[in-house]
Formats: sequence, structure tokens, C-alpha cells
Amino acid sequence: MLEIEQIAKTFHAGTPNEVRALQGVDLKIENGSFVIVIGTNGSGKSTLLNAVAGSFLVDTGRLRLKGQEITRWPEHRRAKYIGRVFQNPFSGTAPSMTIAENLALAAKRGRRRGLGWALSSSSRSDLNERVRAMGLGLENRLDNAIGSLSGGQRQSLTLLMAGLIMPDLLLLDEHTAALDPKSADQVIRLTDEIVRRDKLTTMMVTHSMQQAAHLGDRLIMMVRGKVMYDFQGAEKKRLTPQDLLDRFEDIRRSDKLDETVASMLERQYV
Amino acid sequence: MMQLIGSFSMGLILSLLALGVLISFRILSFRDLTVDGSITLGGTVAATLLVAGWNPWLATAAAFAAGALAGTTTGVLATKFQINGLLAGILVMTALYSVNLRVMGKSNLPLMKEKTVVTLAQSLSSPDAKWSIGRWEIPLQDLCVVGMVSVVIAVVASTMYAFFRTNLGLAMRATGDNEQMIRALGVEVGWMTTFGLALSNGLVALAGGLLVQYQGYADVQMGIGMVVWGFASVIIGESLVGSRQIGLLLIGAVMGSVLFRLLVAIALKWGLNPNDLKMVTALFVFAALVLPNVLESFRRRIRPVH
Repeated sequence: MLEIEQIAKTFHAGTPNEVRALQGVDLKIENGSFVIVIGTNGSGKSTLLNAVAGSFLVDTGRLRLKGQEITRWPEHRRAKYIGRVFQNPFSGTAPSMTIAENLALAAKRGRRRGLGWALSSSSRSDLNERVRAMGLGLENRLDNAIGSLSGGQRQSLTLLMAGLIMPDLLLLDEHTAALDPKSADQVIRLTDEIVRRDKLTTMMVTHSMQQAAHLGDRLIMMVRGKVMYDFQGAEKKRLTPQDLLDRFEDIRRSDKLDETVASMLERQYV
Repeated sequence: MMQLIGSFSMGLILSLLALGVLISFRILSFRDLTVDGSITLGGTVAATLLVAGWNPWLATAAAFAAGALAGTTTGVLATKFQINGLLAGILVMTALYSVNLRVMGKSNLPLMKEKTVVTLAQSLSSPDAKWSIGRWEIPLQDLCVVGMVSVVIAVVASTMYAFFRTNLGLAMRATGDNEQMIRALGVEVGWMTTFGLALSNGLVALAGGLLVQYQGYADVQMGIGMVVWGFASVIIGESLVGSRQIGLLLIGAVMGSVLFRLLVAIALKWGLNPNDLKMVTALFVFAALVLPNVLESFRRRIRPVH
């Protein structure tokens, strides 16, 4: 279980470029739940994922994973429990290394890396099986450099790598946003498959209302660094892409008001 | 022919420098300028210990350890203190100049009658034994030295090859290839970079340690321009093997170093002023870095990409 308690983060504090990216987010994510995160640009959805992953430390608030306080842990230490796929297909793999080597790196996520051979013949055949199961035909190209693969293939591999050792939490940060529609579909299908099969606790940021409506069992919508809506269970199941678009339209209208005025009006009239 | 053997031996010894630079420059993508200082450090440490009567192999190993310490310093400056990598290297290189003077106590230290790894290798053969091919006669002692250096390089290169196929070695390669990815896989990038720089400068200092035993003296100025020499060897090696596979990169670096040394020997023989050598080396590396891009943009202009 992931517990997020009142976390806040301000970038470039005290400068004209100050961005209050997270302004007190509270979330409890149960084991095995698949949470979709949506929001307008700059609403803090990617920042939320990065805060959980430890790309930076939060200013205030606490994070707990599996009952352990991880608030001050550096990113590489959290990696033991967290698998990640980034928006940029280039971010998740080492381009000049081979497919097999990348997988071998992922097979040691968060573990001690010693002087044992990274690729033994038994681990190779195991990796071969895993890659074959993806159905992309990459099992015959294990010794090719990642740099020779398409963005979609890379994202599929990154996804496979993130789940190679079962993560306690899977973070997907708009991992299909940079792909063509066909590759995006393929990666989404693979995502759904892996998350269901291993019952992975997952947070997935997306821009696609289709994905948001059809995937996951919980949906949160973020606005200005806060969680605005939180749909779960039957309520989430009923959501259609149109419902979500309508909510966005509401936000867009209220957004025309200045932030301070909006909160003042809220106090007086709501 | 004698000159040729000499250049060949020098090229082999300096291929340890090239292997060290390969780790920082290509594997870690870290432009490490510590090299000029650490090769001299290796030389001064080895020479001083030899004069103090140490076993030549132990003195050579101590050179490696001293270089590794210098590399660790650069790594800590760059990762723990977040100093720009180039600047961190320059700081350590500058500091090492004083360290080297302190180690030797003076700016130049000749090795006269000291037993060195070179004299050990030479003692495998009698001084007058010659090996003749056609009209050339090669002293067997020179060949023994070439053999000894070759063995050292074979051991170092195959150890590196094995290391870069272990879990730790793979993580080091990934650190230079995609930092974000390897951090997300649980590797502390700062530590890994520091460790790589230690290995790199250890090898560079090992080259320095062998170099002083080969040329018979240590000099506080001997490191000037060596980092560029290392870049040149690595770049030539890459174009020779035409691959980024780790095994071929290692072989390429050794071949690049030897070839570069031979080219320099030929150029000097044809009348290149030795004073111009460093300028020519720098121009060469400049050309090697810029030409591929120029050619690429040229090709694009001729055949536009749709």
C-alpha cells in the first residue's frame, strides 16, 4: 500500500519562476489497485509520480510504501520497490547496450550488483521466454542494440523491464504519449495484460480520455497541484470519455478566474 | 628498425592510458582531465619507490593505486560536491602537479641502476642475442620488453572485458549510457561514476609507472597533453574496429594507441618538428571530433532527408 500524506513541492521557491507544483496531496492506494491520473497541463500529475519515485524530495508531507517511511529516501533506494516507465521512449533503456543487457540490468533492480556474470545461458533462455511472450518478435534480436528499435518497441521493453522483478508499485508517466497510435495501442494492451496478470499496484498518468475511461479501477483528476476528483469502484466503471471531457470543461471555465479570487468565491458561495 | 620497436613498445605502454581514457571518455561519458596529472603521478610514485628499493612489480602496482586515488578524488568532487566534471578534473590535475613534486622531492628523477620491470624482462635474454629478419637485426632484449608489456596489456584488457560483462560492469556502462534509467533501476550514479574514474585513472597511472621504467626517468612534465593523446587513441581505435561493442572497443583502443605512436614516429622521421607534436595531436583530435558531423551535414545537403 502507498500512503501519500499532504505532500507539497514548490520549484524555484522565492523567484519569479516559482511553481507550486504540488499543494497538499493526500492519497491512499491499496495493494493491487490500478489508479489512472489525469489533469490539465501543469496540474502536477507527473510531479506527483516523480515525488513518489524520488526524483526530488518533497518540501512537506510524508510518503509511506508497504508501511515504510520513504519520504527522505533517494531515488535509487526506492527503486527496489518501484518500477517505472517514462514518457520519453529514450529514457527507459540504455541505447548502446543490447536488449539482453538491458533486461539483465532490470533483473537486478534495487539488488546488489556484484561480479557475477550478468548474462548466463540460463538467464538468457529465461529472458528469451519473457521477450517471446510479449509477441513483438524481439526474441530473435536479443543481441541487437536498443538504439536500433522503434519507440514503441522500446516502451514495450521498458514495461517488461519494470515488471521483470515484481515491483510493489508501478509508475507509468504518460508512457504512450510519444508513440504513434498503433504502437500506443500495443503498449496499452501490454500494460493492461501485465498489470492484471501480476495484480500490480499501479499509477498511470495519461492524456488520453479513452485510456482514462477504459483502464484502471480508480481515477483521480488533478488541478493546480491538488486532487480535485477521485472516482472509485462502480463510479469509475461508469465514467465515459465524455464525462471526463465535461469535467475538464468545468475546470477550464473556473480557471479563467484568478486562483485567489476563486478560493475567496469558494469560501463565500460554496 | 630499432626506432620502430621503440615506438611500438611506447604505443603498447600508452595503450594502458588509452584503455583508461576509454572508461571515462566512452563508457562513463565523462571528460576527465585528471589524466595529465595521474599519468605523471603513476610515474613519480613508481620511480620514487624503485629508488627506495621496492620490488618493481609492487612499485608498479602502487602506481595503479595512486592513480585510483586521484580518480576517486575527481569523482568525489564531481558527484558529491556537484562540481562540473571538466573543472573537477582540472582541479585535481593542478593539485597533482604539487603532489608529484612532493613525491619525488624534485622535478626529475632518473632510474640508473634500479631494478625495474623493464630490466627484469631484459634479463630474460643475454645482451648480445639478436634476432634477424632479412637485413634487420633486433636485439632479443627489446623483444622481451615488448612481450612483457603485451602480457600486461592482455591481462588488463581481458580483465576489463570480463568486468564489463558482470552485473557491476553492466551497471557502469549503463551509467554512462542513460543515467536516468540506471538510477530508476536502483544504482547510485555518483558512486558508480567515482568507481569508474578510479579504475580509469588507475590504468592511466599504471601506464605512467611502466613508462618511467621504460624511458628510465620520471619527469614532473611528462603528463602534459596525455589526455589528448588518449582521446586520439580511442578515436582512432573506434574507426579501426567500426563498432561500439565492448570487446572491440578494448582491442581498438590498444590498436589505436600503437598506430598513433607509429604514425607520430613516421611523421617525426619525415621532418616534423618535435616542438609541433602537441599542436598536431590537438588538431588531429579536433578533426576526428568534427569531421563526422561535417561529413554528415554535407551528405544531408546533397541528398535531403524527406
